[in-house]
Amino acid sequence: MSALAPPAEAVFPYEGPAQLRAPIAAALSRVVDPEVSMSIVDVGLVYGVTVDAAMVHVRLTMTSAACPVIELILDEAEAELDKAVPPELHIRLELVWEPPWGPERMSAGARRFMGW
Amino acid sequence: MAARALFGALAATSLAGGIAGGLWRLGVAVPDPLAFAWAGQVLLVHGALMICGFLGTMIGIERAVAVKRRWAFAAPLASGAGALCLVLGQQTAGAWLGVAAALCFLAVNALVVWRQRAVHTLLLAAGAGAWLAGNLLFALGQGGDAVFPWWFAFLVMTIAAERLEMTRLMRRWPAASATMPAVLSLLLAGAAWSGAAPRAGGLLYGAALALLAAWLVVFDVARRTVSTHGVSRYMAVCLLGGYAWLGIAGAAWAAAAIGWPTRDIALHALGLGFVVSMVMGHAPVVLPAVARIKLRFGTFFYLPLAVLHLSLAVRLVPGSFSGPLRAVGASLNAAAIAFFAVTVAGAAVAWRIQHGAEGARKAR
Repeated sequence: MSALAPPAEAVFPYEGPAQLRAPIAAALSRVVDPEVSMSIVDVGLVYGVTVDAAMVHVRLTMTSAACPVIELILDEAEAELDKAVPPELHIRLELVWEPPWGPERMSAGARRFMGW
Repeated sequence: MAARALFGALAATSLAGGIAGGLWRLGVAVPDPLAFAWAGQVLLVHGALMICGFLGTMIGIERAVAVKRRWAFAAPLASGAGALCLVLGQQTAGAWLGVAAALCFLAVNALVVWRQRAVHTLLLAAGAGAWLAGNLLFALGQGGDAVFPWWFAFLVMTIAAERLEMTRLMRRWPAASATMPAVLSLLLAGAAWSGAAPRAGGLLYGAALALLAAWLVVFDVARRTVSTHGVSRYMAVCLLGGYAWLGIAGAAWAAAAIGWPTRDIALHALGLGFVVSMVMGHAPVVLPAVARIKLRFGTFFYLPLAVLHLSLAVRLVPGSFSGPLRAVGASLNAAAIAFFAVTVAGAAVAWRIQHGAEGARKAR
């Protein structure tokens, strides 16, 4: 469970049917980085979501390439998306390192929590 | 599955052998101390098993999982096999397998740097270099005064680099990210100097540990996440408790360098108070990732943590004035680690009961 309330609006670029925007944002907000007790959306790890007729494509980053928990977070994101989107849509999670993550990507709530 | 069992067995053998060696040195009876090699650098075997065999293997597995390359597992395989050789009295083979492990681990870290060039990945690579230096000196027959500073620099730099990465989330003084590499450079300089000039090197090393403790207390996200709940708060408590021991270890390390009888305090405040507390903190998150064992977190995780910190206080405070009390404290330290292992096993069973066998199969 995240220490923060879910962000008021999706804080990542989204392209696709409007009715899927909220469920996808909610699903990704349920994936929590246990170290900081904040969701991957709040930390700003979700770089963008594109939905077309066949696929949900999520671009994610991590704060560290040396972190062993990456795979676990990806698995959890897939499991949460699987519950939230229509079954005919494939889910593709892409781990990207460019552009590098920075604290300016955090949601307003996360920044407040971390003293910004 | 077989690979996971093999790595688990190697790490467990190192841990059991390392703890038995430590207790035996303090005069506590453990089963069959004669199973250890008596000749050579017997005083180093306990440290080698704990640092290179157990922690080095765990960190090697953790990094190999992160980079997702099969060859990266050669590092923990070599360090685990090296520890097994040490347990069986094959000192030379064990020490050189440790060198091979550190070389491979350095290559894995170079891959991490290539993927993400950042201050923290460079510091992780430097930590791997410190491990290689320590293992080479150990293989060449150097004593603890020369080897331990490098081995601990490996552990301390690995932890510090990972914490530096997390502090990027927190608002901090702009120079914070530059001061951490400066402090760790002092640590490496102290390690390098310790071989030639133990007094000056030890003073510098101790000062660097104390400065690092201050840095972590001021800048770590644990100060904020300690006010959350569940596993996040537990991790923060483990971290903050560890930082207190790191500061004590720094002072004791410097004091030992000028001849005070604080060597046991320095080594164990650092190894148990700082490093093992860190391991206990991260196990509920890292074990599911590396071993694919899901754990149910509960407040019961605080119990072995409390035993660890209290038993360390017994060992290091009254234990500094009395050999028997030190041995009692050390036995309780060992009990805390065993208690933690039982707690993790219990948490895995609790998860299975909660989610049923179906959930456990899916988790694989």
